[in-house]
Amino acid sequence: MKILVSAKRVSDPNAKLAIAKDGKWIEGDVEYILNPFCENAIECALQIAEANEGTETVAIGIGDDETARFIRQGALARGIDRGILVSAEEASIDSDLIARIYQGVVHREKPDIVLLGKQAIDGDSNQVGQLLAEYLGWPQATFASKVEVSGNKAIVTREVDGGLETLEVSLPCVITADLRLNEPRFASLAGIMKAKKKPFDELEIDDLDLEDTDTKVQIVGLSTPSGRKAGVIVKDVTELVQKLRSEARAI
Amino acid sequence: MHTLPDAFLAAIARGFPDDFASTDADDLRTYGRDWTRVFEAAPSLIVFPRTTDEVSRLLALANQHRVAVVPSGGRTGLAAGAVACRGEVVLSLSRMRHMAPVDVSGGTVRVQAGAITEVVHQHAGEHDMTWPVDFASKGSSQIGGNIATNAGGVKVIRYGLTRQWVLGLEVVLADGRVLELGGALEKNNTGIDLRQLFIGSEGILGVITEATLKLTRNPGKLDVLLFAVDDLAGVLRLFREVRRAPLVPMAYEFFTDVCLRRVLQHRTLRAPFAAPSSHYVLLEVERGDKLDDWIASLFDRELVRDGVLAQSPQEAADLWSLREGISESLSATGMPHKNDISLPVAALEAFTSRLDAVFQARYPGWEIAVFGHVGDGNLHINVMKPDDMAKAAFLAHAKEADRDMFALVAEHHGSISAEHGIGLLKKAALPYTRTADEIAIMRAMKAVLDPNGILNPGKIFD
Ligand SMILES: Cc1cc2nc3c(=O)[nH]c(=O)nc-3n(C[C@H](O)[C@H](O)[C@H](O)COP(=O)(O)OP(=O)(O)OC[C@H]3O[C@@H](n4cnc5c(N)ncnc54)[C@H](O)[C@@H]3O)c2cc1C
Repeated sequence: MKILVSAKRVSDPNAKLAIAKDGKWIEGDVEYILNPFCENAIECALQIAEANEGTETVAIGIGDDETARFIRQGALARGIDRGILVSAEEASIDSDLIARIYQGVVHREKPDIVLLGKQAIDGDSNQVGQLLAEYLGWPQATFASKVEVSGNKAIVTREVDGGLETLEVSLPCVITADLRLNEPRFASLAGIMKAKKKPFDELEIDDLDLEDTDTKVQIVGLSTPSGRKAGVIVKDVTELVQKLRSEARAI
Repeated sequence: MHTLPDAFLAAIARGFPDDFASTDADDLRTYGRDWTRVFEAAPSLIVFPRTTDEVSRLLALANQHRVAVVPSGGRTGLAAGAVACRGEVVLSLSRMRHMAPVDVSGGTVRVQAGAITEVVHQHAGEHDMTWPVDFASKGSSQIGGNIATNAGGVKVIRYGLTRQWVLGLEVVLADGRVLELGGALEKNNTGIDLRQLFIGSEGILGVITEATLKLTRNPGKLDVLLFAVDDLAGVLRLFREVRRAPLVPMAYEFFTDVCLRRVLQHRTLRAPFAAPSSHYVLLEVERGDKLDDWIASLFDRELVRDGVLAQSPQEAADLWSLREGISESLSATGMPHKNDISLPVAALEAFTSRLDAVFQARYPGWEIAVFGHVGDGNLHINVMKPDDMAKAAFLAHAKEADRDMFALVAEHHGSISAEHGIGLLKKAALPYTRTADEIAIMRAMKAVLDPNGILNPGKIFD
């Protein structure tokens, strides 16, 4: 079996971000982390591989040298067999192009399962897995909280509003990971050193023979959420009710 | 039941705000004890001054009426220094938490003694600076308590003790006189440095009301690693490598698998390694490009069995929780008898090999959790109460066994209390580390500053 798994870097949610001068991207000394949902996908791929001897796992990331570091340390160091970096400037691609890049890689690699995070925690688009399944014409099981692979199918439990839903999908398929799927392991130092010697391919978008490389989404502008106004202390219930009515217009 | 003189109580009612004093049962219980649970809290009254002037007038009054006063900070102390079990008045600094703006060019900040350690960190952090005294109880401990205990913590290997980070102190003496010691001066060689006398004095010489703290720049990005090694000798071998490595170590902490199991039992954290090891080392370093090669060399020479490197700030925090969660987890999941000893680093190995024999004789088969700031020669040794043993019998047994350990500490020129202080808890053990002459000098100094013995009586010595 072969599993293709995503390794996307995202800006640390605890970092203070600044908007770049052109108003269309972020800048500053941003600390990046591996997308937590990708960590769940990677852990899931490793567990499937550990249970199914002969499984090959491949991590793919889209970006620059920094992204390469996350593929190595976040995926290969944890035990993924090899890495693929598709060079692209992150600011200039959208979910649709990312899905098409994945499609191109899938055509080259022919995996049985593509395991992605359900979304990237910075852009929060939640589109790549679904678009990819559509382009490939494969079944998809999104928001997985449990994955069991047996024979030629995967049984996936997904978290939906109001409960759990269990799907059976035939391979090849696309699965996207939710947070409760598993607890990602730490990257061991031995793994980090081994990762340096693991096979690592770098591709250009042009190498993938994509029919369509247009982006469909344009970032028009970014803005920070308006800051919260300081609270006031009211002296009694009457004043509270009056303020709720006149200022907050809540009643 | 202890009763305070009527005249004293009347003077308090007359001279201070309505909410100054409390005899509320909850307050008496809460403010009568610290983190230790050995002594029964029994204070008579809790007072909550807001200003140095109120502290001064209260002490003058207590001095006049010979009323014992226990200075009280965040009550996270581990030596029962802030415990009031003999009808004392507890003087809580918790309302005195004002912080002046940070002086960026001087690299200082003036705060009242009741300011919470972590809040001071945040205050300085707004200018990318920090007060580098750091440990697990920082969310509750106060600057005054940190200074009164000369607190250490997890960054001593990089920054030293509290003593290094206090430029000036305002102290109120037992008779109400207010001293301003040192101010904001970096240099001040004008005779005996009285400020240093109060740092680490556990509230027996005066009440600290304000301090000018020295700040330093925040460190840059940090890397956090956790290593698995086979034994304490392995921990020390690795430490020798760290000392010589082209790295700036911020912390070198160790703990045993016994500690890890208690933490994982108490908190929902993921186990760092697939297979357990007997000893672990947490290393924090300033990020640099030499780290990879250094790690590779450790594996080449088989100095570590396994290791992990935090890949994100969250993972770094998770690894730190494994170390910082130990104290709390031991208390939450059982009853530890704690010791906090230090040895010259060079003597640690010889000491611990002999200690094993003491443990085997005194505590055969008992659970003993050892961790600590091994880079400072500091071991925290926690003997856990067996489930089927009564508390009193356990404490009596542990006290007996302590004597053997302390004798061994003295033989290796160590200290029976590295950073937690003496308080009530370690009083009997003081002579293992300090000579009769030294203790006599300490008593003489106490007599000069507090002739009536009203300040924290019975702490450090009788
Ligand atoms: C989980 C945990 C981890 C810890 N880790 C460490 C560690 O790594 N290193 C370390 O050194 N300690 C450690 N401690 C011990 C403790 O937190 C420190 O000693 C701390 O500095 C005590 O501060 P506090 O404000 O809580 O003082 P308290 O416990 O309130 O008081 C301690 C002593 O100082 C006196 N005192 C308090 N305030 C004043 C004042 N304003 N003027 C005069 N005397 C005063 C008290 O009378 C008492 O004798 C730890 C404690 C816990 C619970």
